[in-house]
Amino acid sequence: MTQPLDSGVAITGMGAVSAFGEGAERLWQGLREGQSGIRPLRHARADKMRIRVAAQVPESFDPAQHCSERTLPLLDRCSQLALAAANEAVAQSGLDFSAGDLALRTGVIIGTGIGGETTHDEQSRLIYEEHTGRVHPFTIVRLMVNAPASQVSIAHGLHGPTFAVASACASANHALAQAAAMIRAGLVDVVVSGGTEACLGFGSLKAWEAMRVVADDTCRPFSKGRRGLVLGEGAAIFVLESKAHARARGAAILGELAGVGMSADAGDIAAPDPAGSARAMAQALVDAGLTTEDVDYINAHGTGTQANDVAETEAIHRVFGPHAAKLVVSSTKSMHGHALGASGALELVAVLGAMRDGVVPPTMNYVAADPDCDLDYAPNAPRPMHVRAALSNSFAFGGLNAVLAIRAPS
Amino acid sequence: MTENLSPDEVASQVIAIVAKQAKVDVAAIKPESTLKDFGIASLDAIEMIFDIEAHFDITIPDQGANFDTDTVQSLVDAVNKALAAKVAGPDAAA
Repeated sequence: MTQPLDSGVAITGMGAVSAFGEGAERLWQGLREGQSGIRPLRHARADKMRIRVAAQVPESFDPAQHCSERTLPLLDRCSQLALAAANEAVAQSGLDFSAGDLALRTGVIIGTGIGGETTHDEQSRLIYEEHTGRVHPFTIVRLMVNAPASQVSIAHGLHGPTFAVASACASANHALAQAAAMIRAGLVDVVVSGGTEACLGFGSLKAWEAMRVVADDTCRPFSKGRRGLVLGEGAAIFVLESKAHARARGAAILGELAGVGMSADAGDIAAPDPAGSARAMAQALVDAGLTTEDVDYINAHGTGTQANDVAETEAIHRVFGPHAAKLVVSSTKSMHGHALGASGALELVAVLGAMRDGVVPPTMNYVAADPDCDLDYAPNAPRPMHVRAALSNSFAFGGLNAVLAIRAPS
Repeated sequence: MTENLSPDEVASQVIAIVAKQAKVDVAAIKPESTLKDFGIASLDAIEMIFDIEAHFDITIPDQGANFDTDTVQSLVDAVNKALAAKVAGPDAAA
């Protein structure tokens, strides 16, 4: 392995809410065992939709467990999920934000593709369908796209740079990349960062239906017979801090966000371009000081659409050359679904779990090989293997690519 | 009333919609042509399917494949099938 640059960022806490329920550990155990979070769609208007399945946060999720009684009415579902995940991450990090000026040196950067869609959908229904003539006075503060970041900053008293990052399905990775860049630039010592999404309202489900990219059976990334993506929801939030800061306080380091790569296809608004995603992967390797041979695992964007899986496979070949045949590529979206602006964060939980336990999570629901997808996707069974370094890919509609390079803790 | 169209009328109306989207003359479109032949790809193809659904008041099911690699004839077949399902009633269409 090449000499690591010392500009990486330590990950010292993580939390998640997903189709597997509450907790990063529960998410990871589900993925590690190849369990499915995909279920029949739970929705009051399910009979009016072609979408049949989704990876939804279980009904047992109780937002009141994660915030004060006074805060709860102010929260869209996407902020509820973000708060639960952030509380878990902050607790694991062991940081005390009341000490010294740490709260002033800690930012919050949270990605979300859509923001408060549940609020928007419900309040629109009231005025358009029930003709109430008025909506709830908290509608704006619930639905604004920065609400999850603001609510996390309020809950933990964090006064550093705080804002949302939006790049559709790459929002979480762009947010984490922005957080790492600010730490490396010395603007802050700590950032609470990740992604959240809860946009399974009637209107947005109809919009996904109209785009004809959603599978009616299940998510089968890279497999012959795949029929599209399966929508999910959830949040995953991390505590990132400078390595010097983490070392000085003797923090346990879960992994290192060693580098990032970002690019825009500047082509089609929806169809992926392997040249753009390849550029982002190559940049992430250079930024992290990794060679292609250092990488053992790629957590793929792997949506299960016809177009993505072929383009991503082609991009991996372009970047890794002969080493592409040696590394393992898997799509955990086959289990936690495509949680859009949260997906990169849920997938970072998978990468850190793989590094800790020496097990790569599988690509589930794989039926047979597609000649255009010819890599080792760990089909249907977890793969015991040592992971020294990994990439985590997110490629968004709009042609926006964000790739994280992660190193196992030394 | 699109339910009572003859197969030839359905085909000519589908071809007219394809021609409009592709900005080519209807005479240039053959049953074996693919949408890709006319540069209709990705979102354009999905928008065209949307226009066809609105024109005939039907729902064309997802195919789990790229519409842009399908032929015009397969599109006409899909419309005929959806029209037949509509005549048979909502239960049959589901």
